[in-house]
Order: sequence, then structure tokens, then C-alpha cells
Amino acid sequence: MIRRPKLAGQMPLVSLVVLCAVTALLTDRFLSPLNLTNILVQSSIMAVIAMGMTFVIVGGGFDLSVGSTAALSGCIASMVMLQAGIAAGSLAGIAAGALVGLGNGLVIAFLHVNPFITTLGSMVLVRGVVFLITGGAPVSGETGLPGTFIEFGSARLLGIHYLVWVPAVLLAVLSFVMHATPYGRRVYATGGGREAAYLSGVPVRRVIASTYVWCGALAGVGGVMLAARLQSGQPTAGEFYELTAIAAVVLGGAALTGGEGTLYKSVIGVFIMIVLGNALNLLNVDSYWQRVAIGVVIIAAAAAERLRSASE
Amino acid sequence: MEVSVGTGSERAVPAVNAQDICKRFEANVALDHVDFEVYPGEIHAVVGENGAGKSTLIRILGGVRRPDRGSIFVAGRPCNFASPHDAIAAGIVTIPQELRLVPALSIAENISLGDPPLRRFGPVALVDRGRMREAARAVLSQLDFHPDPDRRVASLSFAERQIVAIAKGLARECRVFILDEPTAALEHREVERLFAVLARMQARGTAVIYISHELAEVVAIADRCTVLRDGRVVAVKRRGAFSVSDLVAAMTGGMMDNSAHAAVESGGVLLAAKADGVNNVELHAGNIIGLAGLLGSGADGILRRLFGLATPLTVEVRGKKYRFRNPASAIAAGIGMVPGERSLGLVMKLSVRDNILLANLDVLSRIGWFDRRAGDRMVGELIELLDIRPRNPKLKAHALSGGNQQKVILAKWLARNIAVLLLQEPTQGIDVAAKAQIHALIREFAGRGSAALLNSTDLAELVRLCDAVCAVRRGRIVAALGRDAGLDEAKLRSAIAG
Repeated sequence: MIRRPKLAGQMPLVSLVVLCAVTALLTDRFLSPLNLTNILVQSSIMAVIAMGMTFVIVGGGFDLSVGSTAALSGCIASMVMLQAGIAAGSLAGIAAGALVGLGNGLVIAFLHVNPFITTLGSMVLVRGVVFLITGGAPVSGETGLPGTFIEFGSARLLGIHYLVWVPAVLLAVLSFVMHATPYGRRVYATGGGREAAYLSGVPVRRVIASTYVWCGALAGVGGVMLAARLQSGQPTAGEFYELTAIAAVVLGGAALTGGEGTLYKSVIGVFIMIVLGNALNLLNVDSYWQRVAIGVVIIAAAAAERLRSASE
Repeated sequence: MEVSVGTGSERAVPAVNAQDICKRFEANVALDHVDFEVYPGEIHAVVGENGAGKSTLIRILGGVRRPDRGSIFVAGRPCNFASPHDAIAAGIVTIPQELRLVPALSIAENISLGDPPLRRFGPVALVDRGRMREAARAVLSQLDFHPDPDRRVASLSFAERQIVAIAKGLARECRVFILDEPTAALEHREVERLFAVLARMQARGTAVIYISHELAEVVAIADRCTVLRDGRVVAVKRRGAFSVSDLVAAMTGGMMDNSAHAAVESGGVLLAAKADGVNNVELHAGNIIGLAGLLGSGADGILRRLFGLATPLTVEVRGKKYRFRNPASAIAAGIGMVPGERSLGLVMKLSVRDNILLANLDVLSRIGWFDRRAGDRMVGELIELLDIRPRNPKLKAHALSGGNQQKVILAKWLARNIAVLLLQEPTQGIDVAAKAQIHALIREFAGRGSAALLNSTDLAELVRLCDAVCAVRRGRIVAALGRDAGLDEAKLRSAIAG
């Protein structure tokens, strides 16, 4: 029987703590309340998107379209909001995201098209649609988006930004879905061994399609949050979000082969990405070098994970 | 343990000689001061239960693992393998149980993989496809197998792939040939063919290390047999000095129950279907019915259709008619399936617990989430009942031995109270002790008022386990042999051969 120390499963958390400790030693500004709040707010949107990505990756898939989907949701939410109010706008934005996810899911699960290719296609397609419906210009109307909505992008509840409450609540609810419902267990089983899951009575195609719906809907939530923060629907928003989200999920210890991964660890992965960027900024590292450093960290984390699982 | 097998002086030097090998994995001692050698032209079998250390020993000889202590000599020269590549270079070729073939490539490409015949044009070397095909044909014909060498390996059956894997080994210069459970997926005729090949290799002076759970085969072909138990060599015996029961006794360290079939009262009809489209098959409560057929006979196809995996059939389960289009509906109607490949029966990345729960999520769920405590209780009871080792529900399925994996697959279905269990090759590649346990479980399952329908290429297993056996040829049931009509292996063999 293989015994390993409890800490081994907590590599992402340990890395985050070490990263924070090192940064705090190198610069006093890191632990200032303003900076910490900043990190939380910056992480909030990406955390929501990375949770959706976790569903897809645990289910054995992959989704490159989340950045475009977030932009689409933000723009549609803004457009609808200007006509029909905040609630209708937000729901329309999230629904648009879910619809993109449903399209991805159906093509991947029922037509057996490779997820990488499918979502690469929808990434470009959806971005095109965003430009078509907005004419390439930000959506904020003549008088701007409703004031309450914009306030949502900066106001706080109990001292914590609304933007941070969203992923916190979602994390609690979705973790329950992933771990305590039959549906969640079926997602893990499908990603871990599609054939075996099918032979155990799991409707694998529906499960796979559903993970993309979650991913699209959560990208939609992220897009609506982003619109609130930017005070407009930006057609160019969310570029490269897919890459950050995938990197965060992998940093959180999920396997791209499916069947492994945890929502809260993916959120920690997001924090690692954001804190790293923040630390490099505070240390005045040249922004070109920042990209190099972040790339190295992603590859190193994946390699470390490989080595760990190979030694088991 | 001094044994000399030589007929001539050149045999004094073993082809490979491992001395005092020790290997531990964390707290587990896998090999404990093991000595092992094989001479040129000798077939040396290694037997033992799962976990006895067979796999570790051949992995060390094959360069996959390094011993903690001890030394290896190839043809008298000390060797220290850092990788499988070193072992192959020294002439030690292993045919693993899970064949390392590339399904997308052709037979010829697979056989010459890593060392293809080249045609040189100055500095440029191209693969000489003509010679590659020829080489493949030549080596395959030694095995009496004559496929189109351009066929993709993906289109071959498992037995055919295995022949290709063996051919791949033969195509190299090899001094020592290690076969790990080579006959696990073969049927009678192909086993004979393999033995003929081994005899030819033996005559050419190749040393063969033969790992098998099929003790009858070991008795039939091995010149010598080493028995491992708990990482130690407990016996080394020469041909004629061991029988199947000796080996079993040495492996298990005692006698084991080998209970014969006990007649079971049969009850109401649980399943009825024109299983092959023509002939009706009925399973009564308490029945264990076998499907026997040569490879490609379609016996497993019948099981697949009953489970909704192939063209649906009209199936009557507990008096209700169904046409299953997918496993989920078959399971809901009370049918369970133990697939022939264990990787299809279990999600290897998930824990034992999650695998057992997977088939029972609907039963354990109330309004959207499952009852975790009831689930844990159920898993705990099944692990005890089926004697699944180690007793750790959180262990990932891939960490278990084959026999224990098969028990977990059975546990999945036993938890559900299903009417009919379909089993494909239920004890393939499983050690004797686990095999007996699995047979007992199937009997107990039927004894509780359920029924089992299984196919197996192991005719002895069918004869021992089943109330009746249907012989299948080309997807059709051509004969049914009942126990009262004197079911035996010879009759069964002639029925399936036609």
C-alpha cells in the first residue's frame, strides 16, 4: 500500500503559501490591505471561469472558448440591461454563455469532434459574433449602464467586494455538486474512464455535454462580473482568459487526461497565477520578463506534478 | 536449490542469472533474497499468487526496475540495467501482459518499430517498406499467422495482437524471452500454436521465462518451475517433479478449497431472449449458464447485445419486455455486466469506494444527493464480504491486483440486487486462489436467487461452474450441453469446433 504524507495532496496550497511568504519578505507593500484586496478582486472573475473549466477538465475535456464567451456574455448582458433592467440583463448574459457551452458540448459529446478543435473553432466564432452584434464598440448606452450594476463592480458587503462573494458562494455550492451529488461522481467517473463509466450505466455523452454547459454558464457569470467592473460590455474583453484558466486548473493539480481535479484547488491555482503577477509587479520586474516567468512556472508546476504521479 | 539442467558443457553458463535479488516498495518487501537462473534452451516457469513477486522479478530482469541489492549476470557477464533499453540490448526481451503495440500503425511497422530496415541514399536514410513487410511476413509465418502485414494493429483481435507482440520480440536477436501471462486471452488452438513456437525457440537455444497462472500449461511445457510466495523462492522443481496440485500447495502454502459444482434448485425465469436472434435462452433463478466458443465465435457478442452495447435484442427480464439501447437501461432493468477487460469494469483512477458506488448512485440517492453514510457502510460490508485486499476503500482501483480488481467489479453489482449478471472471461489472468473465490462468489450470487450468464475460453472453468453450456459458432448457439447430459470438456470442445 502506498502511503504518502498528507501534505503531498496539498501542493497547490503549499506553493501559494510559500509564494506569498517569499513575496511578503521581499516587499512590504504585498501585505498592505489595499494590495490584498486588489488580489482578491483580480482573482474573482478568473476563479469563476476556472471553476467552469474544472468541470470540463475533470470530465476529460478542454475548453478554449471561455474568454470569447465571457466577452459575449458581458456585451449581451449590457445590451439587454439597457432595455430590460439588471436582472434580465445578467440572466441573458449567463444564458448566452450556457448556450455556447451547450453548442460545444453537443458537438463534442455527440459528434465526437475533438474538444480542442471544437472549442478553438467556437473561440473564434463567438468572438466574431461579439464584434457583429456590438459593431466592435463597447456597449454602455448613452447614459451608461444602470448605476446599481456598476456599483456591484466596486461595492462591498461586510467589508468584502461583491465580486469576491460571487466565487466564494459558487465555490461552496459547486463543490457540493461535484462531491455530494450523483451527478458530480459521474463527472469524475466519465473523465477517469469513459468506457468503464458507460458500462456502469453512466450516460457519458450527456455528462460530457453538461460539463461544457457549466463551463459556458460560469464563463457567462465571469463576463457579467467583468462588465460590471469595466462599466460596459467590452467586445475585446477576456482575451487569453482561457489560457490563464487552464493554467490555473493545471496548477491546482487537475489532470488534463480527466478524472482528477478539485474546484477549490483550481481556485488556489488562480490565486497562484494572480499573486505571481502581483509579486512581479511589486518587484518592478519588466512586463516582458513577467510573461517569461509565468510561462516557466506553469511548465515547472506541470512537470513537478508528473514527477510526483510517476513516483507513485 | 542447486539444479543443473545441462546436457552439454555449454549449458553450464546460464543465459541469465539473478543472485540474491532484494526489492522493497516502501514498507512492502516484494523480493526477498531471490536467486533465479535460466539456461539457454530451457523453459523456466515462474508461478505464484498475485503479489508473490513475479512481476517485480521480471521487471528487474527486463530493466524496468532496479533491485535494491543483488546482481544479474547475462551469459556470465555482470550487468546493471539502467533502463529497459539496456536489457533489450543485452538480449532480454519481455512480452508484457498489456501489449506495447501502436494500434494506429500496421503490423509490419509495429514489428520493426524502433529498428526498421533502411535504404540509404547518401546521407538520407528512408524506411525500406518492402523489406519491412518481408521481414514481418517471415517472422509471422514462424508463428503460423499469415495476415496482410499492412493491416492496422487496431483492426486485430487481442489474440492476434499478442501474436504480433511475440513476433516483434522474435524479430530481435534475443537470448532470453520473457512471457508474462501470454495465454491469458488465448483460446485453446492459439495456445497450442504458442507452445509450438516456444518449442522452436527452445530448440534454437533461446532461454524462455514463462509467467502464468495456468498451472496446467506450466506442467505441460516447463522444464523447470520456480514457485514464489511472499517475495521468496519456496520451491524450484524440474519437469516431472511437479504437478498442478504440488504447485498450488507451494503457492498457497497449504491446501485450498476446490469445491465442485453443487446442484442448485432452479426457480422462476429471470431472463429470456432469443440471444442469437434464433434460439431462445432462458435463465432461471439459481442458474449459471455458460457460453463457449472459439475466438471470434460471437459468444461475447451475445453478452454485449443483452447489455445494450450492440444491436438491441428483445429481452424479457422478470417478465417484462425490453429493448436495451444502452447499458444504463439494462442496469435499470436488473442486468449487470463484468466486462472481459478489467480496465472497462473499473474506472482505474477512482477509488475502490467510488467505483462500487458508481453503479449504485441511483439507489443511494435521495432528492439529488447521495447518502454518504449508507454508501460507506455498503462499501465496507462488501470489502469484508468479498475479501478485497487491502481493506482500504480509498485506494485507487489501479493499485489493486487483478483478482482484487475483479472482486471490486463483482461488488459493484452485488450491491444492486440485480437479477442477471453477465460475465465475460471472469477469471482471465487471475491467480488460482482468487479464481476459486470468484467462482464461489458467482455460485453464491446464483444461490441467492439470481442468475449468471458467462462466456469463457477456459472450458474447464465452464464445466466446473455452469449448470449448462451453450456452444456458439458464428454468432449462433449450435448446441446446449446440460449437466444431466454429462457436460465435460471433451464434449464441449467438439461442440464448439463443429
